[in-house]
Amino acid sequence: MSDTSKKPVPAADDLSRPFWTAAHDRRLVVQRCAACGYYNHPPRPFCDACLAQELPFEPVSGRGTVYSFTVMHQRDVAGFERDAPFINIVVELAEQPRLLMVSNLPIAERPKVTIGAPVEVYFEDRDDGISVPQFRII
Amino acid sequence: MWQGRGKTAIAGIGYSEITRKPLKPLGLLAIDACRAALADAGLDAARIDGLATYPESPFAGAGNRDGEDVVSVNWIMNHLALAPDLRWYAQIETGMIASPIIEAINALLAGACDYVLVWRALHRPRPRATGGGAHSGPPRASGDAQFLAPYGASSIVQTHALAWQRYMHRYGATRDALAALALNSRRNANLNPRAFFFKEPMTRDDYFNSRWIAEPLCLFDCDVPVDGCVALIITTAQRARDLSRPPAYIAGCGQNTASRRTLLYYTLDDYMACGSSLANKLWRSAGLGPRDMDAAQLYDGFNPSTLYWLEAAGFCAEGEGAAFVRDGRIALEGELPVNTFGGSLSEGRMHGMGHIAEAVRQVTDRAGQRQIPGAAAVCAIDGSPMLRGSGLIVTRDP
Repeated sequence: MSDTSKKPVPAADDLSRPFWTAAHDRRLVVQRCAACGYYNHPPRPFCDACLAQELPFEPVSGRGTVYSFTVMHQRDVAGFERDAPFINIVVELAEQPRLLMVSNLPIAERPKVTIGAPVEVYFEDRDDGISVPQFRII
Repeated sequence: MWQGRGKTAIAGIGYSEITRKPLKPLGLLAIDACRAALADAGLDAARIDGLATYPESPFAGAGNRDGEDVVSVNWIMNHLALAPDLRWYAQIETGMIASPIIEAINALLAGACDYVLVWRALHRPRPRATGGGAHSGPPRASGDAQFLAPYGASSIVQTHALAWQRYMHRYGATRDALAALALNSRRNANLNPRAFFFKEPMTRDDYFNSRWIAEPLCLFDCDVPVDGCVALIITTAQRARDLSRPPAYIAGCGQNTASRRTLLYYTLDDYMACGSSLANKLWRSAGLGPRDMDAAQLYDGFNPSTLYWLEAAGFCAEGEGAAFVRDGRIALEGELPVNTFGGSLSEGRMHGMGHIAEAVRQVTDRAGQRQIPGAAAVCAIDGSPMLRGSGLIVTRDP
C-alpha cells in the first residue's frame, strides 16, 4: 500500500466515534449488546439481534481468520487507483461467527492468503491523525 | 395453491434500444420501451390505468435526477398520455424486478385497475461532481462505507467475488462452472438479435483469457452495463385474450423474505436461506416444481448468482451447481435450458426484465431461433439470493 494520502478516510459520526478513537489509541473495540451479548459491527443505534439500545463498545482480541478474500484489478476504486491489483480480506473475528471486518494485505502476501488463515490486527496511520485497523496473516 | 394462479397475464413486451452509446436520455428510452410494449399488445396508451416500476439507480452515487438517472411513476405519468382516470400506481424498491409486477397482479386481482404498464429503465452512471465547494484532502467515507471505503472495498463486484471465493472453498468448485454458464449465455445471445453480444461468439479460451475484474471474477463474469428500458403490459387473463398477442399467464410469484444475518456486507452464508424463501413461495403458489420448468431464466448480474439460484430454487442440491451446469444440461437443447436469451451477461444489464421478457416469449412461441418447442412453463428469477430477489412463473395455458 503505497500512497495513503488519497485513500478515503472514515468520517466518524456519533455512533462510530468510539471505534475510531480507540483505533487511534491502537485498540480494537466492537459494540456489544448489554442485553443479549451480541456483537454488532458496523456500529448501530440498536442491536441487530434483539433491538436493545444499550450497546457499549468492548475491546476484542484482534484475532480471527480469513473469511474470504478478493484481488481487485479495476483502477477505478477511489484512492486505490495506483494500488491495483490490491488484496482485500474479510476477517471473521474470534469473538463471534460472522462478526466481520475488512482489511488490506500487501500484494506480495498473495501466496499466503487462504480462507481460514489466522490473522491479527495492527493499525495503519492515515492522514488527519486517523488510524485504521488492518489485519496481517500470522 | 395461490388463488390468483392463471388469472393475470403478461400481454405485451417493449424494448428500447439497448446500448452503450445512447443518443437520448434514459426517460426517452423509457418512453420508447413503453410505446413498444403498447404497440406489441395492440393497446392504446389511453387505456393504461395502472403504473408500476422499480426505479432504483444501479449503484449509490449514480445520481437521482428523474428522467435522466431514474424514471419514476411521476415521470411517466407526466410524459405519456395515459388513461385520464389513471387509477393505481406503485413504486417499489424491495424485492427485485418482478416485485412491481407482483404489485400489479394484486392490483388487477383486486379490481383496482385494468391495464398496468410496468417498466425498468437503467443506465450506466457517469462520474459526476458532487458539488459542495472546494475540498482538499482525501475523500471522506460516512455511514457503513467508513468501514469499507478506506480499504477500497466498497464495490459490488468485490462483494460477489468474496462470496464466490467462499463458494469455491466450501464446495470445491472451480472457474469451469462459471465458464460453462458464460459460454451457454453467449451461445444463446448469438441467437438473439437484441443482445449486446449478438454478433460476437465466445470460446472457452476467450473466457479464460479475459482480464480479471475482482479475482476470482473476470470480465465475462460481469453483466454488460448498458442504457435501456424494458416495459411490459400486465392485465387480467380475460382482457389479455382480447389483445394482439397470445398471453403469458402468470402462474406463480414469490419474493425474498428471509432475514439476512450478516452485517457489514452481503455474504454467501445468507444466500440459501434468502433464495429458498423466494423459491418455496414461487413453487407453492403455482403448484409446480423445478422439474415442471421447460426453461429457467436466472439472474446473472454477476455470473455466480445463476449457480446459487439453481441450488436455492431446488434445480439441484446445495453445492451441486457446478456439476449441474456441465455437459450441456443447461443448453437450449438440454434438460433445463438456462438464460435462453443470453442473460444479463450477454444481452445486457436490464436487471431481470430481460429474463421475464424471455420467459414470456418462450411460452408464447415468440423466441425465434431460441424457441423451445412447446415450452409450457418457464420461471424467471431475479436478484442475487443473498441480496434480494423476486420471481415469476409464466405458463402457456391458464
